[in-house]
Amino acid sequence: MKKIHFKVNGEELSVTCPPAKTLLDVLRDEFDLTGSKECCGKGECGSCTVLIDGKSVCSCLVLAGQAENASITTVEGVGLIGKMDVLQEAFSDEGATQCGYCTPGFIVSARAFLDSIDYIPTDDEIKTALGGNLCRCTGYTKIIKAVQTAARKQYATEETVV
Amino acid sequence: MRVSEIDMFSPSSVEECLYFLRDQDRPSRILAGGTDAVVRMKDGAWLPDIWININQLNALRYIRLENNGIHIGPLTSHTDIVKSELLQEKADVLVGASKEVGAIQLQNMGTIGGNLGTASPAGDTIPALFVLDAQIELSSFNEKRVVPINEFFTGPGKTLQKQDEMITNIIIHPQAANEIGIFEKLGPRKAQSISIVNVAISLKMGSNPRECLDGKIAFGSVGPTIIRSKKCEKMLSLGPLDDIAIQDISGAAWKEVMPISDVRASAKYRRSMASALLERGLYRLMKRWDER
Repeated sequence: MKKIHFKVNGEELSVTCPPAKTLLDVLRDEFDLTGSKECCGKGECGSCTVLIDGKSVCSCLVLAGQAENASITTVEGVGLIGKMDVLQEAFSDEGATQCGYCTPGFIVSARAFLDSIDYIPTDDEIKTALGGNLCRCTGYTKIIKAVQTAARKQYATEETVV
Repeated sequence: MRVSEIDMFSPSSVEECLYFLRDQDRPSRILAGGTDAVVRMKDGAWLPDIWININQLNALRYIRLENNGIHIGPLTSHTDIVKSELLQEKADVLVGASKEVGAIQLQNMGTIGGNLGTASPAGDTIPALFVLDAQIELSSFNEKRVVPINEFFTGPGKTLQKQDEMITNIIIHPQAANEIGIFEKLGPRKAQSISIVNVAISLKMGSNPRECLDGKIAFGSVGPTIIRSKKCEKMLSLGPLDDIAIQDISGAAWKEVMPISDVRASAKYRRSMASALLERGLYRLMKRWDER
């Protein structure tokens, strides 16, 4: 057992756990952040995607000890009901969810993608950026549309702010 | 050993890590990005007593041009490689290979040193490092040695790296203006997949149209380690690389590879695809060379 310190969604948190426990299990079991999901458990599906220092990673393949002192953003950190992110609003408005299991992973991956660009992405760019996320209800068309809607909204708001 | 019992040591410097490796008598393993290692831990294949977590050793994360080649730190992530302007210009084949490693999530976490250390026959960056004549620096507490990549791998998952050693540098040969390279991969899906067959090609072009002076071809995932296709390489400089020459060269590739049948594909399919990927790679390279 080791005492490990993280910054999760802006909050300083510590946990005492086996260092080889996955970050995903720590987030879910210890911090009750159950938005990130375990699906394949081997980095193929992207349901467990979180941001570590702003970069998207599969939290099921990161061991707790490896993420020590890192800043982690989960889907809960992207937005929650009452204060949803433009992406979450767009997914909801466009109906880009079916069973919903993959949605948190898609939201986090899409957030990292939109943070890295400053224009409205094409279908192909979105497909590449979200290539590591699988939706087995296969509702990709609406997911892609939702990301574009979110990008449009985001830049519209940013322009008004400027 | 259960996963919950595995200990972890996170050295704060390379020296501390080498010191630890020298004195460690419990079964241990180095953990870089973890994208392969954690999967193997979950499968029960890799259950060391202690993980030596080097993920935070930023001193091993660099890409720089030096007199004897481009030095790449083993903890350089695939994303770092894809974004490096130096490598885009001087090692396009490696950039191409790193782009094909998994999807964004794995490229962010996975490292080039981890890809070498895991030594999977399907490791995507390895054929690219073969055609770039990579030299691998292995360090132990007392010694440092440099091993050419074609000697580094001794079998699937096996390398010359000893228990008390770690990879501390990777040196590649920068491409000249007349050198071009490409990486082609076939996987079950476009993103995030393990290669069924992959090939890295690097050509040195002459001044006449499509004149190839020399070239290197390395296949992955079709043998116990990477296979350099010497026969096809010799054929590259026989004449201009027109469509017929390209078809002849790729036709010879099926004899050069030694694939097995496994859960991902049959040996027969892999042979055909090795030829097909080489043909596609050479076509694309020639098209790029014509349009330069």
